[in-house]
Amino acid sequence: MTVLAIAMGTAIATAMLGVMLDIGDKMNLELRSLGANILVTPKTAGALLPEAQIPKLKTIFWQLNLTGFMPSLTEIAQVGGSPVSVRGVWFDRQYRTPDGRVLRTGALAVNPSWRVHGHWIKKPNECLVGGSVAARLNLKPGSTVTLFGEPFRVTGILRTGADEDDQILTELADLQRLTGHPGDVDALQVAALTKPEDEFARKDPARMTSQELERWNCTNYVRSITHQIEEVLPMSTARPVWRVADSEGRVLSKISGLMLLIALAALAAAALTVWSVVATTMLERRGEIAIMQATGATDRMIASLFGAEIAVEGLVGGVIGVLAGLQMAHWVGNSVFRTGIEIPPVLAPLSIFLAMAVALAGAYPPLRKSLLRAPATALRERL
Amino acid sequence: MYWIFVRNAMKLRARRLLLAFSALAVAAALATALFSIYSDVERRVRSEFSSYGANLLLTSASMVPLSAVEFARNAGAVAAPFLFSTGKLSGQPVSLAGVDLKAAQELTQYWHVEGSREGCLAGINLAQRFKLHVGSEAPLENAACHITGIVSTGAAEDNELFLPFETVAKLAGTANAASLIEVRAPGERLEEVRAELQSAYPGVNVRVVQAVAETETGVVRKIRVVLFLLLALILVITTMSVTSNFSELVMERSREIGILKAIGAAERKIASLFVTETVVLALASALAGYAAGIVLAGWIGRSVFAAPFQVRLELPVLLLAAAITLAVALVATALAGASIWRIEPARILRGE
Repeated sequence: MTVLAIAMGTAIATAMLGVMLDIGDKMNLELRSLGANILVTPKTAGALLPEAQIPKLKTIFWQLNLTGFMPSLTEIAQVGGSPVSVRGVWFDRQYRTPDGRVLRTGALAVNPSWRVHGHWIKKPNECLVGGSVAARLNLKPGSTVTLFGEPFRVTGILRTGADEDDQILTELADLQRLTGHPGDVDALQVAALTKPEDEFARKDPARMTSQELERWNCTNYVRSITHQIEEVLPMSTARPVWRVADSEGRVLSKISGLMLLIALAALAAAALTVWSVVATTMLERRGEIAIMQATGATDRMIASLFGAEIAVEGLVGGVIGVLAGLQMAHWVGNSVFRTGIEIPPVLAPLSIFLAMAVALAGAYPPLRKSLLRAPATALRERL
Repeated sequence: MYWIFVRNAMKLRARRLLLAFSALAVAAALATALFSIYSDVERRVRSEFSSYGANLLLTSASMVPLSAVEFARNAGAVAAPFLFSTGKLSGQPVSLAGVDLKAAQELTQYWHVEGSREGCLAGINLAQRFKLHVGSEAPLENAACHITGIVSTGAAEDNELFLPFETVAKLAGTANAASLIEVRAPGERLEEVRAELQSAYPGVNVRVVQAVAETETGVVRKIRVVLFLLLALILVITTMSVTSNFSELVMERSREIGILKAIGAAERKIASLFVTETVVLALASALAGYAAGIVLAGWIGRSVFAAPFQVRLELPVLLLAAAITLAVALVATALAGASIWRIEPARILRGE
């Protein structure tokens, strides 16, 4: 019974802690649907960035936190006598990193919230038309529009509510070829998983000591990531898109705080349950203790005997509980976020240790009380 | 007789009942707290997204009538007009944006401004290009512009010069019209406000900023599912601990149960005794737990969102908490009470 209760309590605690510790990362991914949080532009107005240099992004310290990037080039085209802004972007492009890995990224990775009425671009000379432009020029999926003297087939209508509604989107290579800017881009949007800003994040890196600078660089603040991007792309200015970065930071810190407190409350409930079950069982064994005392066992012997028993029960219950808890955490992760939960390895021994500690703490007061009592009283009560 | 039995059973087993009571009260408290958070979390999370700025944009092929600002405000949204034009700075063309920064304050929370948020502000790229800084005079043609702040947003604003709305209206020669009206409607009423604006101004294009609208909904939904699963897990463990408690209770009283059976009490009657006890116990712990849960939710709200969750002394939450506690207690009694049927009076009375 005790083992079962301890196992149950530990399972809940482990599952809860596992989910809570990982929920920040999961929510961070969820918040990526806000779009890019870093904008990289050429340092001097009117200059362009070389497209070939862009894969160097994947060499920065925080490369694994870059969930996607989207180079783009914007030009004005005359369509039916009125100017329309045409933007060439990477949609879902394969590229090779400087160290030889082949990866994919583009608009689909940076803007998971984009919904297309029709379908995405798959071939050259296809385009997506923004909602406002489509209404103005009366374009539908399947119609053809002439851009820079070449016919483009409209594959879909894109409604984002933002700038894209007033644009026509094509593959970057098409626009580069037609406008005579091969290999050039004028903006690069980057989506990164970042840590909410705190006081330390806002310090000026130029005024930090080398130790502080190292700590700052090794934290995924949006500013340290922009700093690192500027280092690998020297002709560029990288700026946080504050509208996205700020909202993200606020929401993330609130959610983590909320979940942490709920986890603590639930943890306390689990501990209380285990504690009360252990206390009840101990209370019931008053008679046993009294008999031991009456037959000459010292308090120390009795205490160590029961202590060892509870510790073993705690250990067994703890191990079973941790295994069940990890399973539960994965189940929650899969059903809510469709990905498993990453659990720090330290959690398992920590939970087992906590289980044993709580069990021993529950056993202590009744044990002490029984030992202090005269065995005769306890024995008379039992009979 | 029945009630005397119930009352005495409670009095004589006070300690064990206290344990069951506290386990049930903890369940009720957590259920109350999670329900309060659950019902209020949408409003909370959506208000945190207000730092994203507008979630509705009013644009038009020509100009947007300024009266739409007042209309949106009456619909319960925050709204501010923007007027875009071009001007000449040291002979070079620059983008001018006219905006009443005071009215747009809530929509521009995400702007990082060095200096003051009022007056004539320069985007950071523009400021670098023309070597402008706070306190300098921008050589703008046809209008005075004393730079009071430098704006950085990481978006189009970085290349613009912000002037009071009227100044740009005069330069552009427009009246009662804006190029763009930014609206921040409460997230849960977004569609409603959009529809109202669209029907009042059919010539205007009212767009929902999909990125923020979708993200808000997604985040709220995920938090709710997590809260719900947590609640389920907590209830499972509480049921377990209460069951263990109750089955020991039945075990302890097997002698009484044996006697009752021997003098002719039906199992159902004996079980109903336990059930009555449980119901009384569950209702008492639901009340205590409800009070504790409200305090807990208030505390969590205060420490996370700097304002307590709306403390609802609402009947639905109380009833829900009571129902859950009762359900947990009854499941536990049912699991524990099954052994009543297995107790054989003869063996009990013989002293086994």
